[in-house]
Amino acid sequence: MISLEEFVKNIELEIEDLEPGELTAEINYRDIETWSSMYALIIIAYVDSEFNVTLSGDDLRKCNTLKELYFLIKSKV
Amino acid sequence: MNKTPFHLHGKTIFISGASSGIGRQIAISVSQMGGRVVITGRNQDRLDETFKSLSGSGHLTVLGDLTDANQRDNIIKQLPQLDGVVMNAGMVQAYPIKFMTLEKIKETFSINYDAVVLLIAGITRNKKLNKGASVVFISSISSNFPPKGGSMYSSAKAAIESFSKVLALEHYTQKIRSNCILPGMVKTALYEDVEKVITKESLDAHIAKYPLGIGYPEDIANTAIFLLSDASRWITGTNLIIDGGCILNA
Repeated sequence: MISLEEFVKNIELEIEDLEPGELTAEINYRDIETWSSMYALIIIAYVDSEFNVTLSGDDLRKCNTLKELYFLIKSKV
Repeated sequence: MNKTPFHLHGKTIFISGASSGIGRQIAISVSQMGGRVVITGRNQDRLDETFKSLSGSGHLTVLGDLTDANQRDNIIKQLPQLDGVVMNAGMVQAYPIKFMTLEKIKETFSINYDAVVLLIAGITRNKKLNKGASVVFISSISSNFPPKGGSMYSSAKAAIESFSKVLALEHYTQKIRSNCILPGMVKTALYEDVEKVITKESLDAHIAKYPLGIGYPEDIANTAIFLLSDASRWITGTNLIIDGGCILNA
């Protein structure tokens, strides 16, 4: 699996509305000003298509940072 | 015995996806209104549970997966002559357009569109629909008011709504009618699946848009009964929205 840094960068690129560096491994992604259900859909679809891991809305809710999410995915790969 | 046309006595009604949710309630309500029901679903235990909840007698269960060609043919073979059909089986999946794949399209369309079309084709080809029969498709308000991530589900439902009109056109000489019910959010297991995918917060925000609150399977079943009964004999090729006023706020 790709590194945490690459994971964060890829999600930032997939979301498209974000400035480079706006998303980090440590920040609570819900604190991003423009956070919406669309971002959740994009993350779920990206993870499904890249790692063949199905995340639920609950998984996203339980995690606060991309770092937590990354290790959750890693445990499911 | 009944002067009112608002009943289903003497009618045999086939209901797909009857092992849970809206389909189960339609089966129960149809039986309570005097109809004989033929129910299908993939899970024997859950289908039996629906069967045990039916009023009256003479009902049938037919087990099978509608997306499998052999099982579908087998279901069609076992069907008696029908006065009504309710096409209810379906699934919902949220996926953004830019990630779409042929596989994802097929997942949604095989049950929500292909299986529905091919089942109706088999039923009509085998002349299982009696003169004056009524076909009801359970669509969704999302065909016209889709959510983000709903491209496939909403498109499949929109396709079914067009299909229903063609069915109405091709079979009106036999007085066969075809209509769609477009429910808003209804409290079922499917709703709980949606909750898992899009998070409870965004679902709660969606429900807040319903002036009359969230719907229940009974609300859809009562409308299905009307469309299956002779009370609606002059209604065909229409879409009936049942959404607690949701689209008032759209």
